Amino acid sequence: MAFQDTPLVIGGRSFASRLLVGTGKYADNPTMLRAIAASGAEVVTVAVRRVSLDRTQEEGILHHLDPKQVFLLANTAGCYTAEDAVRYARLAREAGFNEFIKLEVIGDQETLLPDTAGLLEAAKTLIAEGFKVMAYTNEDLITALRLQDLGCVAVMPLASPIGSGLGLLNPYHVRIIKKRLTVPVIVDAGVGTASDACLTMEQGVDGILMNTAIAAAQDPVAMGHAMRLAVEAGRAAYLAGRMPRREIAVPSSPTTGMLS
Amino acid sequence: MIAALPRLHAVTDDRVVAEGGLAVRAERLAAVAGGELAVHLRSRALEGGAFLRLAREVREAIAPHGSWLVLNDRADVARAAGARAVVSGRAGLASADVRRAAPGLAVGRSVHDAGEARAAAAEGADFLVAGAVYATASHPGAAPAGPGLVRDAAAAGLPVLAIGGVTVERTAEVLAAGASGVAAIRALWDAADPAAAARAFLAALGPRGTLAVTVNGEPGEVPPGATLAALLARLGLDPRAVVVEHNRRIVRREGLAAAALADGDAVEIVHFVGGG
Repeated sequence: MAFQDTPLVIGGRSFASRLLVGTGKYADNPTMLRAIAASGAEVVTVAVRRVSLDRTQEEGILHHLDPKQVFLLANTAGCYTAEDAVRYARLAREAGFNEFIKLEVIGDQETLLPDTAGLLEAAKTLIAEGFKVMAYTNEDLITALRLQDLGCVAVMPLASPIGSGLGLLNPYHVRIIKKRLTVPVIVDAGVGTASDACLTMEQGVDGILMNTAIAAAQDPVAMGHAMRLAVEAGRAAYLAGRMPRREIAVPSSPTTGMLS
Repeated sequence: MIAALPRLHAVTDDRVVAEGGLAVRAERLAAVAGGELAVHLRSRALEGGAFLRLAREVREAIAPHGSWLVLNDRADVARAAGARAVVSGRAGLASADVRRAAPGLAVGRSVHDAGEARAAAAEGADFLVAGAVYATASHPGAAPAGPGLVRDAAAAGLPVLAIGGVTVERTAEVLAAGASGVAAIRALWDAADPAAAARAFLAALGPRGTLAVTVNGEPGEVPPGATLAALLARLGLDPRAVVVEHNRRIVRREGLAAAALADGDAVEIVHFVGGG
């Protein structure tokens, strides 16, 4: 029988794809839709923003995305305090799609690294209000454990800063987080290309969330396809269990039966 | 969303323009009426370049008083001159095209019956100029529609300016019919003392009855008794496509029609956009 993976289950929702994608930064909506389709992602993130009152700007993304075809995961991107993140999360839930929220509380404009104190505070408030919180955090085990203890349905450590494309900077910490947590660990942010995604999945994490790596590629549709393959390959390689590393060569072919 | 639409509109035509000294004359009105005055520059005779020069001159004279410059149809000139609004008629640019040409400017529409008013509201205009309400020397042959036209136009849900033979004496009648303000040519420009005429109009208009609200961080105004549902309708927004916060409290869709706005309220209207 061919290889078959188990589904990714987050907060009681089951997904076949372990790749979650964002919808920001695309040059145009048709490209975004084709890139998402090529990626095979079922979970698609969106942001909450003011409507443009003078109608000079783009209409909402739901004019293009069909919420029946994808699972909409609203984020609190751009929020710098727990209070703001909670406000955005409440507005997002009121749109009426689901009670999941990708919680971001940003601590610094240059690095967009998370404010973990604000994150824990916002997570606590939102979970008490019945939200299913997927928390974007840094690759720190203690914060990850606390987020799990609070009741987050997924913990999402970064590979490297948002939009940086630097890849997985800290495989050891991500691996440790995955080993110690029982809720899904989704690596969110920092993946730059397919090899980054593959290497990340080989750490044993449950999935990857990415946006810029696909949206800012020269050909986002081709990169969506590449990321799908990379996430599947990395996942399968992790489940397969890699061979041990050795410092010296070991021949692959028999050493007996050689001609004299 | 339009910030506090002025209620006294001094409309020009080629005759008024040809009399000359328009910037100086407009400035006298602006000094009296300030933010309640809009000067509508209209000309069929002037080419683009001369029209823009005149528009800039008038804007520079009246803007320091908080008055608006409004142009007819010429969204390109309006944008270049720093006008606040563009009004177009039946044969003029559609509201969406005005917005494309002049983003951020308020869009007015000349209407002559209830059907045109509804059509203008549906295509996203910000305010209506309804006329001719009374007999007017500007359109000698036209039969006046009467104050009923103002009532019909106001039913479309947008602020209505009454035009056509409107005088200080008739202001109360058009306000009672639902007008937000008045527009006049002769009653202002031809008055023996235009500044005194403006003052008399302002007295007849009375204190502003509108509520000042902040919507998505922008100042605006709504009529007394307006609800969140009415605000969304006026902004051309589908309540199913947005989420509304009223003074930092989320108002559910089913509650929008019952949520009355008060002076000083803050409203946030959000939707989903692309994000990571």
